[in-house]
Amino acid sequence: MNVDLDDHLEEARRRIAEAADEAALRAVERAYVDKGGVVAEMLASIPGLPPEDRKAVGVNANRLKTAIQEALEARRSELADAELEARRGARGFDPTVPGTPQRRGSLHPLTQLQRHVEDVFTSMGYLVLDGPEVELDEYNFQKLNIPADHPAREMQDTFWCDRDQHLVLRTHTSPVQIRAMEQLEPPFRTIVPGRVFRNEELDATHSHTFHQVEGLCVAEGVAVGHLVMTLRTALREVLMKDDLDVRLRPGYFPFVEPGFELDVRCPFCADGCRICKHTTWIEFCGCGMVHPNVLRAGGIDPERFSGFAFGFGLDRLAMMWAAIDDVRHFLEADLRFLEQF
Amino acid sequence: MDVSYRWLQRHVDLEGVSPGDLARELTLHTAEVEDLRPFAPALGTVVVGHVVSRERHPDADKLSLCRVDVGNGDPLQIVCGAPNVDARQNVAVATVGAVLPGDFKIKKSKIRGVESRGMICSERELGLGEEHDGIWVLPEGLSVGAPVAEALGSIEGPGGVRALDWIVEIDNKSLTHRPDLWGHRGIAAEVAAIRGLPLKPLDLELPPTGDGAPFPVRIETAGCSRYVALPIEGVQVTRSPDWLRMLLLAAGQRPLDLLVDVSNFVMLDLGQPNHLFDGEALRSGIVVRDARPGERMTTLDGTERELGPEDMLICDGDEPVALAGVMGGEGSKVNPGTHRLLLEVASFHPVTVRRTASRLGLRSSASARFEKHLDPTLPGKAAAHLVNFLRELGQDVRLPAPPTDAGDWTDPARTVRLRGARVRSLLGVELSTAEIGALLERLHFGVAPGADADELAVSIPSARATKDLSIEEDLVEEVGRLIGYDRIPEQALTDAVHPMARDERRVLVRRVQDRLSGGARFHEARTHTFLPAELAAALGVADEPYVRVVNPASEGLERVRRGVVPSLLGRLETNLRERPEVRLFEIGKGYRPEVEGDRGQPAEVHEVALVLAAPRPGPGARFDAGAQARLTGVVDDVVRTVRRRELTWSRAEGPLPGWAHPGRTAVGAVAEAGEGPPVALVTELDPVAARRLGLEEHDVAAAWIAVDALAAVPIPRSWFQPLPRFPGVKVDVALECPEELAHAELAAAVEKAGKGLVRELELFDLYRGENLGAGRKSLAYHVLLQAADRTLTDKDCARFLDRVERAAGDLGARLRRE
Ligand SMILES: [Zn+2]
Repeated sequence: MNVDLDDHLEEARRRIAEAADEAALRAVERAYVDKGGVVAEMLASIPGLPPEDRKAVGVNANRLKTAIQEALEARRSELADAELEARRGARGFDPTVPGTPQRRGSLHPLTQLQRHVEDVFTSMGYLVLDGPEVELDEYNFQKLNIPADHPAREMQDTFWCDRDQHLVLRTHTSPVQIRAMEQLEPPFRTIVPGRVFRNEELDATHSHTFHQVEGLCVAEGVAVGHLVMTLRTALREVLMKDDLDVRLRPGYFPFVEPGFELDVRCPFCADGCRICKHTTWIEFCGCGMVHPNVLRAGGIDPERFSGFAFGFGLDRLAMMWAAIDDVRHFLEADLRFLEQF
Repeated sequence: MDVSYRWLQRHVDLEGVSPGDLARELTLHTAEVEDLRPFAPALGTVVVGHVVSRERHPDADKLSLCRVDVGNGDPLQIVCGAPNVDARQNVAVATVGAVLPGDFKIKKSKIRGVESRGMICSERELGLGEEHDGIWVLPEGLSVGAPVAEALGSIEGPGGVRALDWIVEIDNKSLTHRPDLWGHRGIAAEVAAIRGLPLKPLDLELPPTGDGAPFPVRIETAGCSRYVALPIEGVQVTRSPDWLRMLLLAAGQRPLDLLVDVSNFVMLDLGQPNHLFDGEALRSGIVVRDARPGERMTTLDGTERELGPEDMLICDGDEPVALAGVMGGEGSKVNPGTHRLLLEVASFHPVTVRRTASRLGLRSSASARFEKHLDPTLPGKAAAHLVNFLRELGQDVRLPAPPTDAGDWTDPARTVRLRGARVRSLLGVELSTAEIGALLERLHFGVAPGADADELAVSIPSARATKDLSIEEDLVEEVGRLIGYDRIPEQALTDAVHPMARDERRVLVRRVQDRLSGGARFHEARTHTFLPAELAAALGVADEPYVRVVNPASEGLERVRRGVVPSLLGRLETNLRERPEVRLFEIGKGYRPEVEGDRGQPAEVHEVALVLAAPRPGPGARFDAGAQARLTGVVDDVVRTVRRRELTWSRAEGPLPGWAHPGRTAVGAVAEAGEGPPVALVTELDPVAARRLGLEEHDVAAAWIAVDALAAVPIPRSWFQPLPRFPGVKVDVALECPEELAHAELAAAVEKAGKGLVRELELFDLYRGENLGAGRKSLAYHVLLQAADRTLTDKDCARFLDRVERAAGDLGARLRRE
């Protein structure tokens, strides 16, 4: 009997060890453990055995069953581990096959740059203001110290609108300086990004429609040194160049006195390149101390308050930034252009 | 303006100030130098040759055979075609291998059988003007074989380059406010101030004149404030000396003959234009008057011009002889035989000259100067300068009569008080009031003590007082630019920064941009503010009220757009050539002339414009696959994102823009906002407009969202809802109804039938077909019923459907039970 038992166990263990998958294990399970299997037959044979043997056979049958079940479980676990291990292999994997495409839209490059500029200045306490593009002559010129016969009016090639010629398409964002002074109590700091118009021939570097960012800061005791520090700090962030250098030189704008041109050290080269016309300086913005006539036009006492103002072109900055070669791209709504940003 | 370095040396000693220093210092202290370049670089490549002998060419009458010594002991044989070449001349020789302007390379050649080893140059070949009747004859005593530039005296510039002269080109725009800098004397005065150098004296006194009768002058117009007329006799019209011709060339002025050159020299030296008439051609006397309407005259360039009262004339009696400040007339042109001259030096009204010059397209170096409010004391000085300069050139000038000085003008020189404290506070520099005074004196201002110890009384000379300097701050600028802005220490702002007012519009615009360019996959465009006439016509909006530009960039660009949608519609066709589907948006402004803005200007509307063009959906497509439904979904999503609100859509009433489909336009309002203006509009592109734009093959929808109306909608606070504890049940509801019954009504009825249990309701099918009969449709909804306090059963569903059936019946619809 015992021999029989050992044979069965040995045979079952051999088959289990050889089993490569669940189906083979199930076959062993059916042959030994299930109804009609070897264990069941052994138990079924008990009534026909001598009474003294019955107990031993019963014990042996159950021992056999338990041993086979344990072997089956162990093998199952082994196979499961092997399968997991197999799944961890690298077969069928090509890391260069692209992921599922997630299509997207795009923000206009001028929007992206404008946001960047707005964020830099708002972090420095500047309020972002907006003003009308169809503007009164009074705000675009007169209140900015540009009287009726001033050459700047022809110099800037203004688009005049009907309605008795009191309306223009604003030639700069500066009229918002006056609107800001009328609306805010000093001290205040504000920037005005916006669209401006000049009646110029369209070519790769000139458009009759372009974008400016105007800045204005009015407080007690504001001096040229404040303007320099403000612009140098801000432009370091805008141009993302920590050691950016700036310089002031004389510049003429009727609404500031003294007036300056501010140059930034060319961020693209060390000793001259095409972009800086081999001078290492790039003319970046016009600026100056707000003219007392302009402060007065905005209802601010120039003896008590002073201020600085600046203005730069967003289009030119974007062109420099992304090496865009033609200003006309900005307003053409051509998807081949827009999708690049 | 081109400034000659060599010319400046007439006025200030530039020892130790290189052309590069000069250009840099002018940029930092005065005006922008755009370029610094060597004058006539070819003079550095040609050498001084001495013509040893000249013979006739054996086979050509007009050619000479020259032997030219170029300093190396081996005279070159050169064939020359110029009539004026002769033995013992010094000439400019381009030897074999030299390259002349225009990339002209000199090679060894054979001319009519005779070898020629180089070229004897004319002025034109060296880039020195147009003279090419003969070769350029150099002065005696030059070092033979040396480069011509070196022999004539060269100046070292940047990079060790040597040239006869250096041209400092100054940006005219940066001289707009500085009439005093339109001549070399003025620039030299700046250099002297910057460097603290003395300015050389210049004799501006007229020599004694005869006592003949002054030339009669009458001024009949307010456009001329001063007219100096001086008869001059005894001038021999010859060729100017080379040094003068070179100075004029360096300053960008073509030399002609002595008279023209001297007149130009005085203009380029003092900045004061002047004119020389043939005195013999003037019969009556000078009258300065406005032109009559339609009056004609022929200018120096031989063109007959039609004039009007806005133009100013110089007349001989009644006969126009010059267009004041702009151009002389043909009749009184000076010619080589002229011996009696009349010199005109005048002050003309800047705006009159500017308008005439720009209307006739005759901007000249003279008109550019008159436009700048010239110093009215200059005419007398310039007349004296011209006479003195003629004498310097060896002309035996006679002045038969004293000058006529007509007109009504005042010297603008004035005194401005300047507080030292004002300079210190605006510039932010430590300068004593005495130091400030010393700086201003360097700039040629008169400085006297003011009312108190800190105040200066600064007298501003006439040259700076016409336009530029009138207030204290102007003098602050003078001090600042002279010390150099790099000497101003940086300062941090210390005023209190207030928390900023929340800018609803800006926050909203950014969120809309992000939502549309992100999830909705739209591309942001920016388009022109001008609405082209052709596009306006195609879209049927040409006759709406527009703000119009009087002087458009080009014909057809008069209209300033009312809204942004038309601009985007105009960009669809070209984009669709490249791709099947286009999704564009723009956040921009439009103008409504019929509505007044805050200061009386036309009202401005901020608009989110959207266009979507796609292929038409196929027959099996879902009911909401079309462009209009998609765009409606996008607008709903935007409003939900930025305002947490649902739009209520209704059929648009009243007049619509031409591009909106008359039967398929919806306007969206925020329900709680009541009867306010619509927040959004969505439409299919009108088929007529679509055909005109070449978009017939596409399914095109357009929409706008009113930015300000949307920004005015408050964002509701969203209260926390307890999470559902009991599962819900899903029920599909299909309703068949007449075409006229709106989805919104059916959906409301279904919701009501749920008695508060409808948690979600989604239209998933909209069907029209023959089996339903004409004028009928079928709508199908997924409905989720859920209760907060129990698990719903089949019985609840059955009761819900019964109620839906009754409610639908009341509306004329039928519940379809499959
Ligand atoms: Zn560079």
